[in-house]
Amino acid sequence: MKKKLISLLVTTAMAVTLFAGCGAKEETPAQDPAPAEEEAPAQEETPAEAETPAEEETPAEDTEASSDEGTANYDGVTLTMWSMWANTEPQGKVLQEAADAFSAQTGATINIEWKGRDVKTIIATALEANENVDIFEEDYQRIASTYSEYCLDVTEMAEAAGYGDIGFQCFVDQQKEWSGAFNSIAEQPQVGGIFYNKDIFDAAGVTTLPATWDEFLTACQAMVDAGFEPMALDDAYADFALAYHLSRHVGQEALGELSVNGGWGENEQIIKGAQELIDFVNAGYLESGAPGAYPESQNKIGLTEKVAMIVCANYVCAEVNNNTGSEINWGLMNYPAVEGGADSSNAYAGANSLAISKNCANPQAAFDFIMFLTTGEFDQKMADGASQIPADSRNTAPAIMDGTVETLLATKAPLKWNMGLTDNSDLGPQFKDVAIKLFEGGFASGEEFAAAMDALY
Amino acid sequence: MVPPHFHGRGGRKMKKNKGMIVAFSLPLTLALIIMYLYPVARTVLMSFFKIESVTSSMSAWSFYGVGNYAKIFGSPTFQGSMKNMGLIWLVGGIITLFFALLFAVVLTSGVRFKKFFRAAIYLPNVISAVALATMWVQYVYSNDYGMLNKVLEFFGLEGVKWLSSDNKFWAMLFAYMFGAVGYYMLIFISGIERIPADLYEAATIDGANKIQQFFKITLPLLKGIIKTNITFYSVHTTAFFLWTKMFSPVNTEASTIVPVVYLYDTVFGSQGNSGRDAGAGAAVGVVLTAIIILVYFVMNRVLKDDDLEF
Repeated sequence: MKKKLISLLVTTAMAVTLFAGCGAKEETPAQDPAPAEEEAPAQEETPAEAETPAEEETPAEDTEASSDEGTANYDGVTLTMWSMWANTEPQGKVLQEAADAFSAQTGATINIEWKGRDVKTIIATALEANENVDIFEEDYQRIASTYSEYCLDVTEMAEAAGYGDIGFQCFVDQQKEWSGAFNSIAEQPQVGGIFYNKDIFDAAGVTTLPATWDEFLTACQAMVDAGFEPMALDDAYADFALAYHLSRHVGQEALGELSVNGGWGENEQIIKGAQELIDFVNAGYLESGAPGAYPESQNKIGLTEKVAMIVCANYVCAEVNNNTGSEINWGLMNYPAVEGGADSSNAYAGANSLAISKNCANPQAAFDFIMFLTTGEFDQKMADGASQIPADSRNTAPAIMDGTVETLLATKAPLKWNMGLTDNSDLGPQFKDVAIKLFEGGFASGEEFAAAMDALY
Repeated sequence: MVPPHFHGRGGRKMKKNKGMIVAFSLPLTLALIIMYLYPVARTVLMSFFKIESVTSSMSAWSFYGVGNYAKIFGSPTFQGSMKNMGLIWLVGGIITLFFALLFAVVLTSGVRFKKFFRAAIYLPNVISAVALATMWVQYVYSNDYGMLNKVLEFFGLEGVKWLSSDNKFWAMLFAYMFGAVGYYMLIFISGIERIPADLYEAATIDGANKIQQFFKITLPLLKGIIKTNITFYSVHTTAFFLWTKMFSPVNTEASTIVPVVYLYDTVFGSQGNSGRDAGAGAAVGVVLTAIIILVYFVMNRVLKDDDLEF
């Protein structure tokens, strides 16, 4: 009898865990299904919000600035969104709030599936299999290069909503260059460069931000003299730092070509750039443990408050503050220009963006929700809550992101991640190891570095 | 002469039994075919075509012959990953199985607290590998406050950069072996406990010491178990993925890359490079499977144990 009882309990436990394993799916409470009233295609209204640009448009008129005209009625419309966040993360919480508010205003039901960062491995197959996905969140470069054929072109809807005055034009232009279409609306813009601790700069007497590599070295020396360590570096971002410097010398396109075809030893600018970095390392400007095992080195910025800078994208600021429980006073500095370099001022810019799949039953509703989320009030909430750059250029960046909106507005030709260094999909990991070795001081000269790169082909 | 109804009853029973047999085994057979055989067959097929996405329909495939195999074997990154896997298999395998056997022999020789030690050595297998790897990377190997460097400091020696690009692979392998020993130890223990005790008694009476007993009795009778363990270890080695991902987060590094990680990056694209090639990924999978099959057959030849009886 006892045996029977135990085996029954164990079987029940097994069956229960089977069901528990069936993925987490969060649903916003469904609105009462009012009789479905579809909007006449000619009328396009966004829900009334004090700051969102509610615009009315009939096909013949040009778009004009805000006028609140009441809310659009999307009763009976269900939108399914695959989010790259978890509902416990700050971004996820704001997303849920926005979905609830949108539902309350328009009667649409929004089902958010919290896929986490893994969405990048599963969204492609889902789109190809025509799975029920209306909106999804992904890196805008991947949307343009991999999923573009499964996404709607939102040019018309964006023009109707006056997006040109709201969003950052560099993302629109860049994705058109990659895929020929305007598929995604930036939700979490990113910008890269050198993020620095303003307090250390003040203490070391660095009053103007260095604009050239020589000025930068002078500033680093000033920091060392004042008892600080200039630069943190983690192995995970070693190739990013290397690529940034090399792209200043040869430009992103040339770097991509070198990556695919080789010929590093024949390029004088490459050798010069590598030599500059080797000298930088030998001068002792990296913090003592660098390159560290991610996130060891970047955390030192917060833990010791003696390390001044890091070459990364803007999320590093919130990451360090959260990981170390510190309140670093962050600032952003564009990567300095180099003598005789091909590119002196472009910054890395990327975005996590929202795209609408071609199977979406009500694209206008989906677009309106995207606008609701990425402009005005909820965009400001997202920026403040998650310490990131607002997608609406008229909003204010939180203090920790000081300077980022201006940098993005000024960026005409954003650099991509790794600036072409990893265009060679096969040798990417090898390049990374060479980059780490360089920052460890493993090369005596730029020629040695170039030889090591060429040896991989 | 047997009464006809007797025959009939027997015949009906046999037919019913056959029907029951088929009915009970059908669900499992179907599940096995659909979820196991079909994907394997499809993967082998895919490895001969040029395909961009895993779920592309067959009309999007273009025949590529052995092009995928040529591509992966020509790729320095794949070659590096195979070399890493080879080191994990050979060096890691020898050391892991050696210690597993050692601990198994010690624990079955009648020491005190056997149950405690058995549980303690097996414990890493119970804890999530992600948690284990995080502890190794962030604490044990840390430069400033890590356990190993603190021990070195205590003895007046200089700290070592355990995770520098030269050391990272061996650091990862050591961390992996540390946790893996327990799994194989348990299998060895069960194998040793099956050997009848009177064999050892008889040997002791005849004057054999512990070491002779080990080499003459234990080891030969463990042949089957050793084969099992080598097979398991090989399978685990080809599926080595998580530790690489934890020691090289964010992006793949050549020092720690293994074939499955290469497969993952090829099929799904990596950061900064969104190119995907499912055909090449399938080829990697087929190569790994072929390796396991090869190892198994070679082992069966070398370690013959069908002449053993105990």
